[in-house]
Amino acid sequence: MPSQGKVLIVDDDSSIRRALLNTLHGMGFHVEEAATGEAALQRVHEDPYDAVLLDVNMPGMGGIRTCREIRKSMPRLGILMLTVRDSENDKVMALDAGADDYITKPFNIRELAARIRAAVRRSSGSQVDPDAVIRVGDIELDPVRRLVHKAGEPVHFTPKEFDLLRYLMAHAGLPITHARLLRAVWGPEYGSELEYLRTFIRQLRKKLEETPAAPVYLLTDSHVGYRFAETGPAGSS
Amino acid sequence: MKIELDTGLAALPLHAVTRARHRARHWTNYWQAVRSKSGFVRGCLAGTAAVALVTLIAFRLHLNLSASGSLYFLIVVMVSVVWGFWEASVTSLIAVTCLNYFFVPPILTWTITDPQNWVALATFEAAALTVSRLSTRAQGQAKAEARQRARVEKLYELGRRILFLDRRQMIGPQIVPLIQEIFGVESVALFDATLARVDATGPAADELEQLARNAYFQDSTLVGDEAHTWAHVLRLGSKPVGALALRGAQLGRLTMLPVASLTAIALERARSFQNESRAEAARQTEQLRTAVLDGLAHAFKTPLTAIRTASSGLLEAGRMSAGDHELAALIDEQAEHLNRLTTELLQMARIDADEVRLHRARVSVLTLVEDALERHRQQLHGRRIEVSDTVSSLEVYGDREILATALEQFIENASRYSTPGSPITVSGEENLGETILAIHNEGPPIRPSDRERIFERFYRAEESRHRAPGTGLGLSIAKKAAEAHGGRTWVVSEENAGTTFFFALPRGTRRQLDAVAGQGSDR
Repeated sequence: MPSQGKVLIVDDDSSIRRALLNTLHGMGFHVEEAATGEAALQRVHEDPYDAVLLDVNMPGMGGIRTCREIRKSMPRLGILMLTVRDSENDKVMALDAGADDYITKPFNIRELAARIRAAVRRSSGSQVDPDAVIRVGDIELDPVRRLVHKAGEPVHFTPKEFDLLRYLMAHAGLPITHARLLRAVWGPEYGSELEYLRTFIRQLRKKLEETPAAPVYLLTDSHVGYRFAETGPAGSS
Repeated sequence: MKIELDTGLAALPLHAVTRARHRARHWTNYWQAVRSKSGFVRGCLAGTAAVALVTLIAFRLHLNLSASGSLYFLIVVMVSVVWGFWEASVTSLIAVTCLNYFFVPPILTWTITDPQNWVALATFEAAALTVSRLSTRAQGQAKAEARQRARVEKLYELGRRILFLDRRQMIGPQIVPLIQEIFGVESVALFDATLARVDATGPAADELEQLARNAYFQDSTLVGDEAHTWAHVLRLGSKPVGALALRGAQLGRLTMLPVASLTAIALERARSFQNESRAEAARQTEQLRTAVLDGLAHAFKTPLTAIRTASSGLLEAGRMSAGDHELAALIDEQAEHLNRLTTELLQMARIDADEVRLHRARVSVLTLVEDALERHRQQLHGRRIEVSDTVSSLEVYGDREILATALEQFIENASRYSTPGSPITVSGEENLGETILAIHNEGPPIRPSDRERIFERFYRAEESRHRAPGTGLGLSIAKKAAEAHGGRTWVVSEENAGTTFFFALPRGTRRQLDAVAGQGSDR
């Protein structure tokens, strides 16, 4: 089996490292490990990696600071944070520190593998053409002609709705924090107008989703932000 | 009266700066003592002696009429300054007699008819009257000033001593003897309306107690049947908080009002201190609980993560026989079940406190539904959730985290026990001051005997134990969450109509909703 990418696992708990090392290796990843943030920083500078799996809760430097340090020197390296449920602050802080994504412990290995693969693709892939047509499931967005089709049928969006959808689809599979989304679409002076954003997301869901209450494309990350599914409803997100 | 006033002052610790005033006051008191009743005879005698002395000296020195007249005049003025008008009148009569006999020619004879006599007497009398009037007025002012100063000093002393009261103890038993001591009043009674408590001291304690209560309930100042007895309601802002009743000869209304204000402030200070301490203790307990629970969460989730990683990794690798695969799947399922149980136990522990601290904010019900569904997405397995339009305009004032958890439990419960493939409906309405959410599912009904008990911790209905894996905690968490918000939960279940769980929260008042509207309603 060809290597799916070179991954560095950073966690202070050795049983988790052992389990991840063996399962991810079995799934075709080339895996290495580090027990602390300090060690991880050294490793990423010595060796090129495709993705780093970083525990938020570590003694010493801690996951968030390690993430920030790594991000400073490696803007394209995929960083995936491991968090515990109920710590929404950690998640937002991780994303603000430059992480691409997070996954909540305990996780299903298949979901983790899918997220790592996505991170590897992003970090190794060439710069994406911003004008290229984006396709997720049966939704197709043409940035140049500003057209959206769902299952071949055109769907009409207002200019702001289109910009919001375009930004989310361009980062499909990744969580985008409320603040980042507001700033990217409405401008740098925005950041805390959550109700505003929520109203727009509801409009998008009405037009895109079969069941707006249980969306399959435009997903909510509670307290964090929104994420456009990376694949259609058939695949696991 | 002046003597008592003086002793009252002597009891006060005085600062060096007031010592000069103190000395001045001694003089005033001396004059006043001299002017008392027995002073009249002494005043007349002193005036007579002075006139005799001046007569002797002036006669020997052969002073002329005008010089000796001036000397007599001086004596009359001094007597009227020191003693007063009547003493000065007697003195002036004697002085006019001496002037006539020794100095008005023909010398050493009485010339009654001489108009000079009447002019001199009138002059002396006029001087005596004017000077004594001025003197009396000055002394009266000094007296009033002294009284005022004494009152201010006593109030200052009361204010100072209030600062040193032990705020951890009851204030009433401390402040009542303090007022009695400082103002030298006979009896004091303090009614604290918040604690419904009376502290009283002195011989008229019972009578004053009743008077204080009356003053509080009538919200006014009352004057007692006996003299020098007052009761005054204690107010903070416009709110009455108690009443103070006093009986004491030296007390006037002017003193009563500031004493009442100071007492009200002392009560309020103690009260806010107690509230602060209570809030601080609650905050620390909450912090400790959060720290312990976070530690526990980490301690449980770490081995669970390792187990699930390994079990799901084995399944993913796909190199096992059917039997091995089944065993690995069992480990994976049970690890997930254990994870769920851990999560719910921790949630339970978090809201299972007498005084759970809610992080209340204005939050739309739609957001709560989104939160709940997002957490529960994986377990839904493509189940249809229908959210009625009735929900979209609803808002509640509560803790988003806890309310979303409750909703999640209902949705999970519905998806677990309903007919597979049937939709789950979330709807809502506002009714009689409550915001009511209804989570409806189709499927077999819950037996009437179980409808109350399913909200109990770890209770699972007989049928469901064999049908679906559950922890028996979910609905009790939802119930706790509702109760923490002052709300309630119940279930309606019929044979052909399915099962509906209701979750009712008291509607936030408009003021509560508006108060947080400006601050950004979400964390």
